[in-house]
Amino acid sequence: MPLLEVNNLETRFVTDDGIVEAVNGVSFSVDKGQTLGIVGESGSGKSVTCLTIMGLNPKKNTMSSGEALYNGQNLLTMSPRRLREIRGNDIAMIFQDPMTSLNPVHRIGDQLMEAVLLHQDVTKKQAKARALEMLKAVGIPRAERRIADYPHQFSGGMRQRVMIAMALVNNPDLLIADEPTTALDVTTQAQILSLMTTLQKEFGSAIMIITHDLGVVAEVADDVVVMYAAEVVERAPVDAVFKRPHMPYTWGLLGSLPRLDTDTERLVQIKGQPPSLLNPPAGCRFHPRCPYVMDICRVENPPLRPVSDDPDHLQACHLDEETKDREAQKLIAGTMAEAS
Amino acid sequence: MSETASAPAVSTDGSGGGELLVVEGLKKHFPVTRGIIFQKQVAAVKAVDGVSFTLREGETLGVVGESGCGKSTMARCVMKLLEATEGKVVFDGRDITRLSRAQMRPIRREMMMVFQDPYASLNPRKRVGFIVAEALEVHKLGTEAEIKRRVQELLEVVGLNPEHYNRFPFEFSGGQRQRIGVARALAVNPKLIVCDEPVSALDVSVQAQILNLLKDLQRDFGLTYLFIAHDLNVVRHISDRVLVMYLGKVVEIATRDDLYREPKHPYTGALLSAVPIPDPELGRQRTPVVLEGDVPNPINPPSGCNFHPRCPRFREGHCDVDEPELRSMGGERHLAACHYPLERWPMTADEMRKSTLPEAAS
Repeated sequence: MPLLEVNNLETRFVTDDGIVEAVNGVSFSVDKGQTLGIVGESGSGKSVTCLTIMGLNPKKNTMSSGEALYNGQNLLTMSPRRLREIRGNDIAMIFQDPMTSLNPVHRIGDQLMEAVLLHQDVTKKQAKARALEMLKAVGIPRAERRIADYPHQFSGGMRQRVMIAMALVNNPDLLIADEPTTALDVTTQAQILSLMTTLQKEFGSAIMIITHDLGVVAEVADDVVVMYAAEVVERAPVDAVFKRPHMPYTWGLLGSLPRLDTDTERLVQIKGQPPSLLNPPAGCRFHPRCPYVMDICRVENPPLRPVSDDPDHLQACHLDEETKDREAQKLIAGTMAEAS
Repeated sequence: MSETASAPAVSTDGSGGGELLVVEGLKKHFPVTRGIIFQKQVAAVKAVDGVSFTLREGETLGVVGESGCGKSTMARCVMKLLEATEGKVVFDGRDITRLSRAQMRPIRREMMMVFQDPYASLNPRKRVGFIVAEALEVHKLGTEAEIKRRVQELLEVVGLNPEHYNRFPFEFSGGQRQRIGVARALAVNPKLIVCDEPVSALDVSVQAQILNLLKDLQRDFGLTYLFIAHDLNVVRHISDRVLVMYLGKVVEIATRDDLYREPKHPYTGALLSAVPIPDPELGRQRTPVVLEGDVPNPINPPSGCNFHPRCPRFREGHCDVDEPELRSMGGERHLAACHYPLERWPMTADEMRKSTLPEAAS
């Protein structure tokens, strides 16, 4: 049984302008010790998917359906009391912006201890010892002194480490990281990513990492979910996504990336803008921007189905596989040929 | 290579007439004061501390570095949005460092800026037509009808619908807003455009659109860019030459290919090794040179080489005492400031460390 299994998750927000379909029929699963990467443009529903799983969407004006089974228990229908027991203890979340996700008026030590005291039957002293241990684990220098500092006394990278320490303080089974390195410099990003993978090895946690950086995904993820306009358009092991992508949107994402290892004069660009989720296009949601659009794409939304010779590789596109393999190879060859 | 088609034939020693911008020993120190009534200066934040480079016409110089290394402050001094503490900025053969506002006005036409955040750099209460036309009106370049025609033409050039000149910024997405920012910078036909992290706030697919647009415009109008970004992939894609900054100083400057193929400064090496590669196989093999700690406080920078507390090649008694000068690393166009430059690339942190050891023993 996977640690987390999400089935047909739907989230809708009621707004003055109408109903926004923020997540539409998303399914995936994460096993213990595995890392799942979720990629997509802003507004594709990555963050809302995670917030829905964590039960952190505003109650007002939100409608959710489907299942998010954590160890077989549905997080969506669970009592708030039981959910609170799981959240922060078994499932923890690292938020995107380290500058705003820490409480500025509390010492970081107190913020770290809060999670321990809430979930474990320990004394304050023990909780403090645990907080200190975590600060050391995430590589904060002079942790004994810095535990009494306020968030403003830390730099961005250090704050992100504190966020990670806070998320890991109860040894969660599942860590959801929403763009954990987006606000950071590459050097700090490398530190944080290696920290996360080391801690994962040590504690055997599962990680769900949301990012728009395909480089990060290639490096840390075992499986990848590509989201576009609130739907999953491709889901596969990481090598398949990069070596044999089967969805024109994924090609666009890969091609639009300037890379250190290749020379490209012009980047592939995905024309146009992501659609409004208030009124998504009929048929395949990517069709208005897709260079391979066919008549059927305008009418029928392709279901997520496996590639014929690779049952782990799911994709949602009407194009025939022969064309897709050929185009994907062209994309890879076009960039790879000049790499050597 | 910087000798691209649009740059006039200039010898590589840079003494030709093709130099559009020369920056020499530029410093910007912000005073730190204490006291309420009698404010006395107790220290200075050395945001930019002796930066020199030249930029030829039609060339793109990329500037990279971690946040807080002084990239943006440097750009602002070049644009004279900030007054430099020391050093000089020569634009098109004229020293602009000490010019008054009035003297600057005609020169402002020649140098424009594209800002980082397309959500904050457009006045939300003005229509797009007004935003783009403002510089034309300030410089009195044409009648009302001419200006309107020019604005519509500009919107078309940057790939927006000319009919949209009457809309407000909030009606556009991030990428479209950045296009408006580019149109505004282009309006007065500048020679130099300073781009301060123009694509950092955008999604990859939109980022590609803006990068392609900037390249097309450079080809069509012979523009010169000073392109600041922290994303090394982006800088590599767009630049002819690249300048690496650390703590207000230039640590390495070279042509793009030299810098990315054979970085000499350990900091450049560490930056390059930290960039994730979007290829699972290569990515797993990669061993980033992890730098310890954060960028030091520029109020009190480390002695000797600024980078020594984080450097894997640090040697006591030399690096922390003697500040390395920017010197040639094989070829006049590849300069780096390091006592122990990297012999080859790629290198792991251990290899970096080891290769200085034999010397230490001698």
